[in-house]
Amino acid sequence: MAASPTDDVQRDGLFSFLSRRRFLKVSLVAGGAVLGVGGGGLLALRGSAPKVQGLRVLDAHEYRTLQSLVEVMLPKTDVIPIDSGSMDLPRAFDDFLANEPEHNVKDLQKALVLIEFGPLVFDKKITTFSRLEVDERTEHWNGWSVSDNLLRRQVSVAMRKFFNLVYFDREEVWSYIGYPGPSMQRKGRKTP
Amino acid sequence: MTGAIVDLSKEAAPDSVTTEILVIGSGSGGATAARILAEAGREVVVLEEGRDLAWKERTQRDSQMYDQLYMDRGGRTSHDLSISVLQGRVLGGGGVVNTCDVVPIPDAVLDHWATKYGLEDFAPDRFKSFEKGALEDLSASRIPEELVNVANNKLRRGAEGLGLRGEVMMHNRVGCQGLGTCLIGCPVHAKRNPRMVAIPKAVAAGARIFTRARAVKISAAKQDLKEVTVHTLDPEGYRKQGKLIVRAKIVIVAANAIASAQLLLRSGIGNEHVGQNLILQPQLSIIGIFDERIAAFDGIPQAYAITEFEQDDNADYGLWGYRIEAIMGTPGIVSTMLPFTGVPGMQGMAKYDRMAASLLLVPDRPSGQVEVARDGRLTIRYDQRPDHRQRLREAVENAAKVYLEAGAREVLVPTTPAVFIRAASEAKKKAQEISFAPATAPMISAHQQGTVRFAASERDGGANLDGQVYGTKDVYVFDSSGYPTTASSHTMTPIISSSRMLTAKLLTRI
Repeated sequence: MAASPTDDVQRDGLFSFLSRRRFLKVSLVAGGAVLGVGGGGLLALRGSAPKVQGLRVLDAHEYRTLQSLVEVMLPKTDVIPIDSGSMDLPRAFDDFLANEPEHNVKDLQKALVLIEFGPLVFDKKITTFSRLEVDERTEHWNGWSVSDNLLRRQVSVAMRKFFNLVYFDREEVWSYIGYPGPSMQRKGRKTP
Repeated sequence: MTGAIVDLSKEAAPDSVTTEILVIGSGSGGATAARILAEAGREVVVLEEGRDLAWKERTQRDSQMYDQLYMDRGGRTSHDLSISVLQGRVLGGGGVVNTCDVVPIPDAVLDHWATKYGLEDFAPDRFKSFEKGALEDLSASRIPEELVNVANNKLRRGAEGLGLRGEVMMHNRVGCQGLGTCLIGCPVHAKRNPRMVAIPKAVAAGARIFTRARAVKISAAKQDLKEVTVHTLDPEGYRKQGKLIVRAKIVIVAANAIASAQLLLRSGIGNEHVGQNLILQPQLSIIGIFDERIAAFDGIPQAYAITEFEQDDNADYGLWGYRIEAIMGTPGIVSTMLPFTGVPGMQGMAKYDRMAASLLLVPDRPSGQVEVARDGRLTIRYDQRPDHRQRLREAVENAAKVYLEAGAREVLVPTTPAVFIRAASEAKKKAQEISFAPATAPMISAHQQGTVRFAASERDGGANLDGQVYGTKDVYVFDSSGYPTTASSHTMTPIISSSRMLTAKLLTRI
């Protein structure tokens, strides 16, 4: 993992909402199914993930979870017919994390575990997020934003903020939303 | 003395610096104090955690600019992720990233502070001369009609149609070219903000300004010579690069109501009031969606305000009620405010150029806390109060009616689940049904205040009427931390005004 700034942590960023205590509490309250399956079973359930070259923070499993997430959050549609998979947004996330304080990275990694095992923990289905078919995954993920569980809503908000910001900042998207691009360039202005 | 702006990510920091006056923070409070003190011949050093972002680096791109211009790379939030806490992290502070709104402290609020909290220097007859100086600093003027864009005029048209009081706002732009990216920095330096006014004057008068310099601890706060530990940062501001000690007789903390309290708490300075009484003034966006192209991203984003529902003489809290102000941002930041992902998210953003949005600015009571854990982690603890939720619902109802009056096809309240209002007759019912449960509404805070409250007695606040932190010798707060209640719907003008007043008082004593 790339070196993270840990010297004088004072940031309360987007991914710092998960304390260890809260994570354990949520897991215990909602996670009877997890305990039932057991640690070895969880690893088997998660399976292997394809190797990904050049990651700075994330491992292959975390990368796959994010790929699966982006696929349902930012799908190719009639209104914006772009395959977000071509943008490699999980790698943008990896680059972002490489410059975050270590505690934020750890929080995010906990969130990714929760997302991956979300179908098991919250829906009592013996499967993982990445293994769900797209329609099922979409339905499951939509449930996070309207859940009674605050932690699930928080994870949903954090992911939406990050991926939406990066995705809609991409030039190839703009023509589909009627945005003609940065005004300096468009209006032929020059910096003083 | 030779003034200079020194980027400590690029130039080797000395091991230590000794100065008469150290100012921590280069925003409205800090830059103003530094300029006045330097012009009075005092030896001044300023520390700024951000850097001086050159004009050509202001790319108008969300990912880059939120990363470089805002605290926590734009990701700072309240403890439960309910409120995005926007705080500038750049030379010049919040004035570099705000929408240039010039809204002084209402006289009724000044009266309230003077009578209820004993802040005599804020009584209108005493305070007005400092406010006048602030307005001059800002080159304050009414936004010209030709710069009020289509989206702002939609809000005005709706307000006028319903007979609601409103106004074209005052601003601090000169030579505005309507580029539309005020929230992520003006690339043509049209803002008469601290970066453009106070900082050049401070440097010309001999102030030394260190950027990428994060103050992490104040030691010996009761001694004649204070010692401030400073971490120098890498060029992007991500990591510690080195260390510097600054010794000063006088330390002025003006790093914003969050960071100022955080620094005092980390340093173990001050009484039990430090970090308390946090005001976040949470705001919620609301979006009118029209059939025709609005292109709200072009032109001044915030030019018209509905003031009908604002009250400045609440017996307990001064400023109360709410106001409705137009707003717009670049696609990235707007998309983060929408409550959708997946197909609905794409469909929602496909209407981006037909959106006219507003912020619902609802003043709150001082009720939050800034906390710093042993490991240094910051927590901004804030729970939205029931009365705030209720006023927000009323604001939603009225803003929706305004946009419908202006011809909107529908009005989106970007809560989760999303609320669409398509007829004025349903606005009240739908607004009242919104729960505002934590992490279901994309609220933002741009005007943090109140964490080191000014008070005549240390029983009632964290700093005295000179801004001196109780329990210290010559450690001061000169920013919005001192305000006992919400000063105004926008804090740049209040902070410059009060910093002018506090600095003038300081000069009479040293």
